[in-house]
Amino acid sequence: MLLPVLLLSVVGCATQHQRYDWGDYDPSLYGYYKDPTKLGELSASLAAVIDEAGKNHATVPPGIYAEYGYLQLQQGKNSNAVELFKQEENHWPESKVFMDRMIKVASAPVANTATSGRTP
Amino acid sequence: MSIARKIALLSLVAFFGGCASAPPRYNYTQFRTEGPRSILVVPVINKSIDVNAPDYFLATIATPLAERGYYVFPVNMVKSVLADDGLSDANLVHAGDPHRLGELFGTDAVMYISIERWDAKYVVLSTTVTVELNYVLKSAHSGETLWKNHQVVVYQPQQSSGGGIAGLVANAIAAAIAKAAPNYMPLARQANGGAINLKGTGLPAGPYDGMFGKDSADF
Repeated sequence: MLLPVLLLSVVGCATQHQRYDWGDYDPSLYGYYKDPTKLGELSASLAAVIDEAGKNHATVPPGIYAEYGYLQLQQGKNSNAVELFKQEENHWPESKVFMDRMIKVASAPVANTATSGRTP
Repeated sequence: MSIARKIALLSLVAFFGGCASAPPRYNYTQFRTEGPRSILVVPVINKSIDVNAPDYFLATIATPLAERGYYVFPVNMVKSVLADDGLSDANLVHAGDPHRLGELFGTDAVMYISIERWDAKYVVLSTTVTVELNYVLKSAHSGETLWKNHQVVVYQPQQSSGGGIAGLVANAIAAAIAKAAPNYMPLARQANGGAINLKGTGLPAGPYDGMFGKDSADF
């Protein structure tokens, strides 16, 4: 019930249609901040946004590859992270300085303890 | 002002009533000089007593800025990276030099937001929920203020039994509030919409919007 009514209220000020399909990004980020054990849900929702955009030949919204890549980095999945940071940079040239810096961090041989997942 | 114009203006105000009343047009001179393409949202200052407000608010701000046509840096990642660099204190970051953030992130502009109010007051038969926010966008190149806005969104569901969209929204919000804790998210989203999307006071279209650089009549 709530949603359609809220949408109605937004029509008065929104000046365009949705540009991107954000999936559950907002609510899952909120859910994660409310309960940090819901990191898995946030991660899944970011992956879903990327998958959906791929299926629909749509643009992944700004920041989503990077957010997902950062969660990968935190889990020690550094090569996945690098791949995602490169995707962010390729799609959004504005992110180049930041992504280059993060790619360096994620590619460092022994960056910090968080990256220990790479060692055998 | 002619009567017709007055009526047109009044109906515009009514149309935008869901967002905010119509304050005077913002001066976009500096904004137009710089034409920012990217926005970095830094940690939000919290003047409310709800310690979770800045995090919750952060979950509402990326999408409306990106939908306006800007590249928005990944808000959660930026929050973590800044924390790793010892920059999790919002007051410190807000007092700092936007130019330094520009170097770190390669952003054109930095969005400084402070939560002035984020509270619910219960008095016998009425509930008042208030979200009040200040937005300041500064250039990471020149350090100049490019844009600012102030929003107050108040809900007093029991007193808004009038018809129309406002009444419907109030009723819906009232239902949400009836639950254990008040839900600030719709109010925060409405504040963001009112700050960002209104002609004359909002943010001009960003580079990923077809109107980029062509909307000077409205902004």
